Amino acid sequence: MPGLSELGVPMRIVIAEDSAVVRAGLAEILADRGHDVVAAVGNAEDLRAAVDEHQPDAAVVDVRMPPSYTDEGLRAAITIRRDHPATGVLVFSQYIETRYAADLLGAASGGGAAGVGYLLKDRVADVAEFVAALSRVAAGGTALDPEVVTQLMGASRRTDGLGTLTARERDVLGLMAEGRSNGAIAAILVISERAVEKHISNIFSKLGLAPSDADHRRVLAVLRYLES
Amino acid sequence: MRFLVRSWEYRHPQVWVRVRIACGIFNVALGVLLIASFPQLGALAWLAAVPLAGAALIFWTVSRLQQDSVRRVRELEQSRASVVDDSAARLRQIERDLHDGAQAQMVAVAMKLGLAREKLSGAVDGAAPADLERVLELVDAAHRSAKQAITELRDLARGIHPAVLDHGLGAAFRTLAARSEVPVELAVDLPVRPSAAIETIAYFCAAELLTNVAKHSGAQHATLEAVEEAGVLRVRVSDDGSGGARREERGGLAGLADRVRTVDGKLQVSSPPDGPTVVTVELPCQA
Repeated sequence: MPGLSELGVPMRIVIAEDSAVVRAGLAEILADRGHDVVAAVGNAEDLRAAVDEHQPDAAVVDVRMPPSYTDEGLRAAITIRRDHPATGVLVFSQYIETRYAADLLGAASGGGAAGVGYLLKDRVADVAEFVAALSRVAAGGTALDPEVVTQLMGASRRTDGLGTLTARERDVLGLMAEGRSNGAIAAILVISERAVEKHISNIFSKLGLAPSDADHRRVLAVLRYLES
Repeated sequence: MRFLVRSWEYRHPQVWVRVRIACGIFNVALGVLLIASFPQLGALAWLAAVPLAGAALIFWTVSRLQQDSVRRVRELEQSRASVVDDSAARLRQIERDLHDGAQAQMVAVAMKLGLAREKLSGAVDGAAPADLERVLELVDAAHRSAKQAITELRDLARGIHPAVLDHGLGAAFRTLAARSEVPVELAVDLPVRPSAAIETIAYFCAAELLTNVAKHSGAQHATLEAVEEAGVLRVRVSDDGSGGARREERGGLAGLADRVRTVDGKLQVSSPPDGPTVVTVELPCQA
């Protein structure tokens, strides 16, 4: 699935992660792909300063950072979303909290076009996937961890609507909620892009959602549906 | 006041309080009867003072016991609260250590191996030339991180429950002494093993106190003693360092004192400005 990087466009990236080993590892991976890590910091305050200074394409932000080790990364991410609409923010953490995803996406829908992502830290191990997700976020798209989507779908009270979907449509819905493009969904499920489009229009009509072409907007529509 | 309460009374406290009150009432009645028979008994009626004094003593005892038990309940409530706080804080610390330590190391390992795998599979597919040196470098770094994660996990596991404690405090203290940066002289005389909970508390106290010696005292020499006398385990750590150790609010010593108090133990610190520092922990052997 081609992202910005695979198309040969290097991103300018700020990393905020308090663990030095993970920070160095991330910088290594991104530099290896030819991206420009303009700053790598260890706390939320330095992150805000670095984003103000460098105006990067994307910021990779750990949720838990000093001084209180709770959610300062997330709060910084939300302010960055508000103050720097051109900077995509990929938040990652060692545990998934669906509430955090809702907070981030809420900030995104209010703020405008720039991308947002929320991934488990483990995903970094699949380097290509991770870099693709980051590229998607930098380009204004969405990258939600499959775990978040599974939890949201599991906890959703809209079981009536979801129950009418076929197994394949549920797969497509999950991937769509992760923020994948039609092309990416087609590649993952090994079906044609036409088939994906057909599944998506079925899903939207079965769930009673207004169809939307923009990847980001349809993610929001799906998530709002699951949460309501 | 505890000497007035026999251990068998704890089994039926209400019955024994009632027996005491009944005795008191009987004594009062006897006294009143004696006073009432003043016309018949004459001067002998002064004997009424004996049962009345007895009644006063009995009622005083009952009220003291009452106050005593209220105070005891308050103490237990406080120590229970500090046990709960202590274990919550310990769990938080363990989670933090895992998150910052082994978990982060393993993420780094996975990242490096992920990158190495991509490079190798690119070379196998013929998509990119094999940069074996770079791959080796990545695998090397991953290997180092994995080993570090193993060390951190082992340290963490030891902090949760030191395996050596299974062989008793003697063995555990020998390990502590051997690990200490300051030379430690060991004197352990424990014919009977204290209960597991007491051993654990004694171990963590000794470990923390020896760490304090190494960190703060500048001592050349320390001793660690553990003896049992009349059901009390006494652990004493002394050093020839600079002294001046204090039990500060929320400090290490205060934390130890809290933990010791949860089992009705005591922690005493003697640390004059020029040393030496002696910290004594007394714990009931069974708890």
